Amino acid sequence: MRDPLRFAASARPKRSTTLERTMTERASLTIADGCATILLRRAEARNALDCDTIAALRRCIDAAAAECNSKRSAIRSIVLAGEGKCFCAGMDLKGVLHDAVRMGDMLRGLSSALLALRQLPVPTIARVQGAAIGGGCGLAVVCDFAITHPEAKLGYPEVDLGVCPAVVAPWLVRRIGAGPARAMLLAGGTMGGEEAAARGLVTRCVPAADLDAEVATLAARLATGGANALACTKRMLNELDGSLDEKIAAEAAELSARVIAGPEAQASLTRLYAPKPQGGPAAHPPR
Amino acid sequence: MTTNEQPLIISQRAGRLLTITLNDPRRRNALGTALFDQLERALDLATAPEVSDPPSVIVLGATGSAFCAGFDLEACVQDAALLPTFVDRLGRLTARIRALPAVVVARVQGAALAGGCALVMSCDIVHASADATFGYPVHRIGVSPAVNVPVLLATAGLGAARRIALSGEIITARQAESLGMVQSVHADERTLHAAVAALAESLCAKGPHALRTTKAWLNQVDGTDAAGFLGAAATRAVQATIDVCRTAESRSMLESFWQQRRSRA
Repeated sequence: MRDPLRFAASARPKRSTTLERTMTERASLTIADGCATILLRRAEARNALDCDTIAALRRCIDAAAAECNSKRSAIRSIVLAGEGKCFCAGMDLKGVLHDAVRMGDMLRGLSSALLALRQLPVPTIARVQGAAIGGGCGLAVVCDFAITHPEAKLGYPEVDLGVCPAVVAPWLVRRIGAGPARAMLLAGGTMGGEEAAARGLVTRCVPAADLDAEVATLAARLATGGANALACTKRMLNELDGSLDEKIAAEAAELSARVIAGPEAQASLTRLYAPKPQGGPAAHPPR
Repeated sequence: MTTNEQPLIISQRAGRLLTITLNDPRRRNALGTALFDQLERALDLATAPEVSDPPSVIVLGATGSAFCAGFDLEACVQDAALLPTFVDRLGRLTARIRALPAVVVARVQGAALAGGCALVMSCDIVHASADATFGYPVHRIGVSPAVNVPVLLATAGLGAARRIALSGEIITARQAESLGMVQSVHADERTLHAAVAALAESLCAKGPHALRTTKAWLNQVDGTDAAGFLGAAATRAVQATIDVCRTAESRSMLESFWQQRRSRA
């Protein structure tokens, strides 16, 4: 029996465009039946975001935007998903920990990718299985909808690691409001799928076996709305809630990079990334 | 106020945690000159530049059946100059709490009304017992809650802030939770204290630099810093509230409110 939590390559739509062939690296874009899927493909590292993965994700977002904006576009929604057991385990800072320049590049890359993801002209749905941690949770929260299951772990444990969640903070404030966002980001930690739904982090929490069906139902419902009406609504919401603020996105990346370069974060991240018996760039909080 | 009396503010330091407790239960911790003085002094002592290890977490709690019932209205009736002064001090105090480098957790039981609600809203994380109540029922004394609107707007969002500030309604902890004004509601005071103690412990274990930076960034993002709501807008809000307090309407409403209360007592 297929593990419902594993987003397998075979689960992707069969009818794909030529775009997929150009992006089979760490993220791919497939388009089928009016729905585009951007898939993170670094399952061996729980889709943790390193420089290459962020760059590949960005190329997929740009390609999807170009496709949506073409006259013949039939895309009515975009699903953001992660291959394997986890949606996205967060930032993979291991390779850039002691390289302030690349660290800055990476955070700028993420911040600008989130901005581009938000500005996609059709509704976006995050399909969150397993884990969406830190920057991974940021990806889910930037999407217009996010669907998860009770066993998934979501949240922002940045402060537990001496890191500042500056890049994801404005998006969380826009999603759940400033008061609740403040409490969530300062308290750190992670939560299960049901709590994430109750606190507004995701739109719905459904049994793991129903995750794909729920995403498909939502995509189908979105496809029944007027394409122009949805695009206009989304654009207006983005304008009103400050989603187009490039200055705050840029400032956030610099702030986050500065904190990571400091002694407090360096010490705790060095401990986190120290070789472990089972290895792997784990990005979970230490509790 | 003589030195023999119980202090109105109790400050306890334990490692990186500072607990500040409002301790005038007989007057439901009403904000008067002495309480303002002592609360400001507790913050001065904790945050003075010469303090080598400032707290990274502050819990703001209260003794008695109410967290804080608002201004000491009896004093305001006796001395007309006090109300505007209290408004000014409250405006400064709430802006100061929001700007503190430490993460501030409010631990609320009973009423947190008017100035008491303002204090709570300036904190970063709010835990309350189920019996807690929140709101700004100050229109009945001819006063505007404008002084706290900047922080309320940022914390609860535009729609909720408008409802709470204009209606003067007193809402329950559960309602406040659903509006984003409270993060966690506990069955009773015992579980409230336990939950806040656990939260404070976990906050103290986090990187202090990361926490401080994150709080400052959130202040910038949601506009509760000097460049946003707590700059010129807050100054205008305080002045607007003071102007209202100085009107004849406010004076007469306050006096009749106080007379009614006394005759009921």
